[in-house]
Amino acid sequence: MDYELPTEFDIIIIGTGVIESIISAAASRIGKRVLHIDSNNYYGGLWASFNLDAIQKLATVEETLNEGLGNTFFNVKNFEIEWHIPSETPPESTEWSRQSLLKESRRFNLDLAPKLQFARGDFVELLISSNIARYSEYRSVSRVLTWLNGQLETVPCSRSDVFANNKVTVIEKRMLMKLFLALDSGEEDYHNYENKTFRAFLTDKKLTPNLIHYVLYAIAMCTDDTPCLQGIKNTKRFLDSLGRFGKTPFLFSMYGSGEITQAFCRLSAVFGGIYALNQPLKGLILNGDNFEGITCGTQEIKAGVLVMGAEKAPPHFIKQHPKSSIARAILITDKSIMESEKEHLTLLLYPPEGGKNSCVVLELGCLTGTCPKDLFVVHLISRQVEGPQNDFKHIIGNLFGPEKANILWSCYFSIPDSNDLDLTVETPKNVTLCPGPDLDLDYDDAVRKAKAMFTDIFPDCEFLPRAPDPEEIIIEGETSDQDNVELKAESAKTEE
Amino acid sequence: MDDYKFLFKVVLVGNAGVGKTCLVRRFTQGLFPPGQGATIGVDFMIKTVDVDNEKVKLQIWDTAGQERFRSITQSYYRSAHALILVYDISCQPTFDCLPDWLREIEEYASSKVLRVLVGNKIDREDREIPTHVGEEFAERHNMYFLETSAKEAENVERLFMQIAEDLMKQARSRDLPRYDASTTNINGRTSTVSDSNCCSRFQ
Repeated sequence: MDYELPTEFDIIIIGTGVIESIISAAASRIGKRVLHIDSNNYYGGLWASFNLDAIQKLATVEETLNEGLGNTFFNVKNFEIEWHIPSETPPESTEWSRQSLLKESRRFNLDLAPKLQFARGDFVELLISSNIARYSEYRSVSRVLTWLNGQLETVPCSRSDVFANNKVTVIEKRMLMKLFLALDSGEEDYHNYENKTFRAFLTDKKLTPNLIHYVLYAIAMCTDDTPCLQGIKNTKRFLDSLGRFGKTPFLFSMYGSGEITQAFCRLSAVFGGIYALNQPLKGLILNGDNFEGITCGTQEIKAGVLVMGAEKAPPHFIKQHPKSSIARAILITDKSIMESEKEHLTLLLYPPEGGKNSCVVLELGCLTGTCPKDLFVVHLISRQVEGPQNDFKHIIGNLFGPEKANILWSCYFSIPDSNDLDLTVETPKNVTLCPGPDLDLDYDDAVRKAKAMFTDIFPDCEFLPRAPDPEEIIIEGETSDQDNVELKAESAKTEE
Repeated sequence: MDDYKFLFKVVLVGNAGVGKTCLVRRFTQGLFPPGQGATIGVDFMIKTVDVDNEKVKLQIWDTAGQERFRSITQSYYRSAHALILVYDISCQPTFDCLPDWLREIEEYASSKVLRVLVGNKIDREDREIPTHVGEEFAERHNMYFLETSAKEAENVERLFMQIAEDLMKQARSRDLPRYDASTTNINGRTSTVSDSNCCSRFQ
């Protein structure tokens, strides 16, 4: 490396996961001197996206830790990659082979932790209010499906969907509209249901079994045991996000979920954050219960505060080990699970079945920038019971096979869930550990966590105020200084 | 609505210190040197130029310093129409790094992106890379080539005008990387309901 890192910062952030990146952007935005550093040579950590080549390499990397920082508690585990096509096909063949698929490697953006965004969720609001939205593009999910009575069914989301759905009877249509309206108006009284399940509530509403299925498993994304109030909250969230950007409440970030951390990192860099990937992180400099700096290669770098991804922390910082895991599968397929004239971006909410947890299935076509033309990438995400292979067996058996879409390539793995752990127990006071990906469909909880951590570190500081548009920055004379630019940004903000 | 017909995204890459920001500032504001603090908070610069009596808006993105430790985000390259790869003619290492930059460009940028190689700082007297060496490199890699001086304002206007003209030509022959055939602009103030087949961009 030609350059030496500066050696004094207000805050050092290790790891480029979503929460770390949001904190980085927020700290740079208020003028803190930020060093954002990663031992990986890519952005995103456990939230990253990879091309086909890279994810295969990731799967073969041995779980070894050299003298560097980090622990193995949160490593991706149980990687199993399998090809379902021949390694080569005759030159004139139009069938996919291992070789022809790998030739398209860089057209794939395969997410470790695929996420959607609620169109009116906290995350989208933050993207807009902070002006970070300009770094990424989104595509709306075009249909929501569920698995009902042994087949795929479209979930009626909006009023027009309800009426257009020919699997729903006229009486059911009225019932569903009545329920949506009641929830929307907020006049409904739920206090009798405080100790009951959402299913009990829907049953009391005299909804038919099919409607209960749509609302419970798809719209509210609940299980049979979800408390009523949670179910109501989820349903309202779904309904609130309708009609903003598309036919469903959901958006997906173009080129994969790995783009999200990069958007926050870009903002951080624009506001002066120093970025260094692929760094030889050796250890932390501690003085009793106080963090003082890090050792990076031969350099010692000082800062008053350290924020790091839990997977980057020294083992003795981790008091509780992960109790549960996220089961994941990524499939490359040659057809949509439900073929249609136009390319769909599909969310399938697969209900719990035979002791297996409910599963989120996300099918992405080439318009999302995550795979080549004529192929699909299918993500499966669920709370792990036995292991990814077994947990998804029934779903994969139902969705793929002869006469249906074929699987060309599959990849299974588990991500330990660090979100239900107390990560504060063994850490010095000025060190904050960030959890990795959670099971949520969206980033709203990650935003809440990042904001809470930021406010804890920098009390009374504004969290990601709107960044000025380039047009708003008027640089006067030759040596406009930083304060001047900031001032313009502030005044631009109040004018709005 | 702004008064322009075409909007092109141009991104700059190259080693730290080769003068990327200076080129952008010289072109968009006529300033040199730009002053260090002033880049804080600046994401991209905009200049509208005339090509064949059409208004063309160039959105020129700088690296925000992420090139210093080889940490440019992949998303920086997405949706770029033109890419300017800059080296310093008085600094051999900045030229030696070009293959690394090309590898990164191949990996992340659209294969159709217009690529321009720029040797900057021709005002310097301690030249280390002869013009023909840069020229040959550009030819070998199918790039345009130009030598500039942001300090003396030499060839800077020409560089960006050439890019604007070429992109216009490509746009007319529909040979442009097509990113937004079905995108919808979305911003916080007015919410739009787009067709589900569309891709959205919040502003």
